[in-house]
Amino acid sequence: MKIVEVKHLSYCYVEDKFALKDVSFSLEEGSYCCLIGHNGSGKSTLAKCLMGLQPDFDGEITLFGLPLLRKNIYAIRSKVGIVFQNPDNQFVGSTVADDIAFGLENKCVPHEEMQSIIERFAQETGMLDYLDREPSMLSGGQKQRVAIAGVLAMGPDLIIFDEATSMLDPKGKKEIIDLVHRLRAQNPKLTVLSITHDVEEAARADEVIVLNEGQLFLQGKPEEVFSHQAELESIRLETPFFYSLLAELKKNGVNVPDSVKDLSSLEAFLCR
Amino acid sequence: MNNFALGKYVPYDTWVHRLDARVKIIAVIMLMVAVFFPLSTWSMTLLVQGTLLVLISVILACTKTPLHSILTSLRSLWVMVLFLLLIYILVPKAENTLGIAWSVNGWTVYWDSFAEAARIVVRLVMMIMLAMALTSSTKPLDLTYALQWYFTPLKVIRFPAEEFAMTISIALRFIPTLLEDALRVMRAQSSRGVDFAHGRLSKRIVGLTSLIVPLFVSSFIRSEELANAMECRCYDPRGKRTRYRKLRFHWGDLVAFLFAGAVMAGVIVLSALHVDLFALMGIVAL
Repeated sequence: MKIVEVKHLSYCYVEDKFALKDVSFSLEEGSYCCLIGHNGSGKSTLAKCLMGLQPDFDGEITLFGLPLLRKNIYAIRSKVGIVFQNPDNQFVGSTVADDIAFGLENKCVPHEEMQSIIERFAQETGMLDYLDREPSMLSGGQKQRVAIAGVLAMGPDLIIFDEATSMLDPKGKKEIIDLVHRLRAQNPKLTVLSITHDVEEAARADEVIVLNEGQLFLQGKPEEVFSHQAELESIRLETPFFYSLLAELKKNGVNVPDSVKDLSSLEAFLCR
Repeated sequence: MNNFALGKYVPYDTWVHRLDARVKIIAVIMLMVAVFFPLSTWSMTLLVQGTLLVLISVILACTKTPLHSILTSLRSLWVMVLFLLLIYILVPKAENTLGIAWSVNGWTVYWDSFAEAARIVVRLVMMIMLAMALTSSTKPLDLTYALQWYFTPLKVIRFPAEEFAMTISIALRFIPTLLEDALRVMRAQSSRGVDFAHGRLSKRIVGLTSLIVPLFVSSFIRSEELANAMECRCYDPRGKRTRYRKLRFHWGDLVAFLFAGAVMAGVIVLSALHVDLFALMGIVAL
């Protein structure tokens, strides 16, 4: 089933200056898609369009089979969660528990059920010991985990990460990415759209979409996309270490079979 | 942040902390009314206000508010005390019940002036102590919810009680964040040579704009992003919402409410009927 279908999406903040131009793609249920591109390539605009924060777009967006229109917006938003870049600016509650509860309050979940839901998702994100903490006492990575818990508590089918790790230190970043992978392992129906600068994260995705200056540049499985090294370099994007290594090996006449999909199997192949 | 003592929450788990915030607000108001009711004679004033002072001190002590923060907030009263004394001494009063303090060349000052000034100061001290007992034992958020509860009837005249509470709670939540922002901007500007602490006033004001403008910009960016995040989590200010935090009314709250009510009623009765307990007991007092 197609969770997200975007057809010919265009958006301008200023007239005739396209932030997004004729972008079309779709996401399958349960897939993990990374959207990469440089600053100003329209990644965040795309996320905002998907959340219905920019209602005056051109084109068609369909989520869960519902067209993105004003009358559907609450139905769609209750199934889509988004984690933004800045950990501070999405922390609504005055404590961790209040923040996780915020979405539940909006969805009119009865008071009696809230505590158990909050505890469950705080546990899942490793924030159970911090429920009474105020945001000023948390690290950036912890705040992002709270944001994820708040999103998960609403039971979404699609989670969008809008550069959710870009303001974190390497440790916080790794924790968040590991958490996302763990969540997907637990719930195979969960669709993840991750907007990122991090090509190494994209190398682990099911699908990669590359945006450049508001237009779709490349799209496909990581091995397909990252085999276009020259094109990616032309828009100043690097290739993940594994794929650059593959390309280098090929250049030097080493024929790596297609069955090699990651670093450890490559290592095994080279050391055989 | 040291002079921010009035209004700072002190996280303990005393019986005052556990009281319902709604009850605490109304009880504080009732005790303040009691504090401000005038009494007929000086001896009665001394007795009643003294009792109230002891009572309020006990309540404040129960909240475990650190003594130095109480003293810090009372310290600012010194100016007030001097000012009041000056006013009462310079402006002669006709009443004379306590005798003449001094009389120089027709300028007569009665002891009443001093007593009057002292009474006002003691009242102010009690006011501040009550306010401190409330704010140091109640989380700002609970206070907000309590206020929202009191404003709920105003919904009839379309007063947005829930939006009001949401606004206040977000403002409270962002105080530390914006403070951090302010410090960061200040350091950044200091490192570029802006001097906030020295120099002429006009120069310092110009320096201050270099702090305020970036702070405004960053708060606008924050508010925009926060609004987006709230919308994405299905927030609808006009829509129906359930509540995670609930204020609960226990029997202890009823006791506290009745006690504060009784104190207020007692003082009002003593004041309105001009009761003089000392005269009733046959003691000749002032």
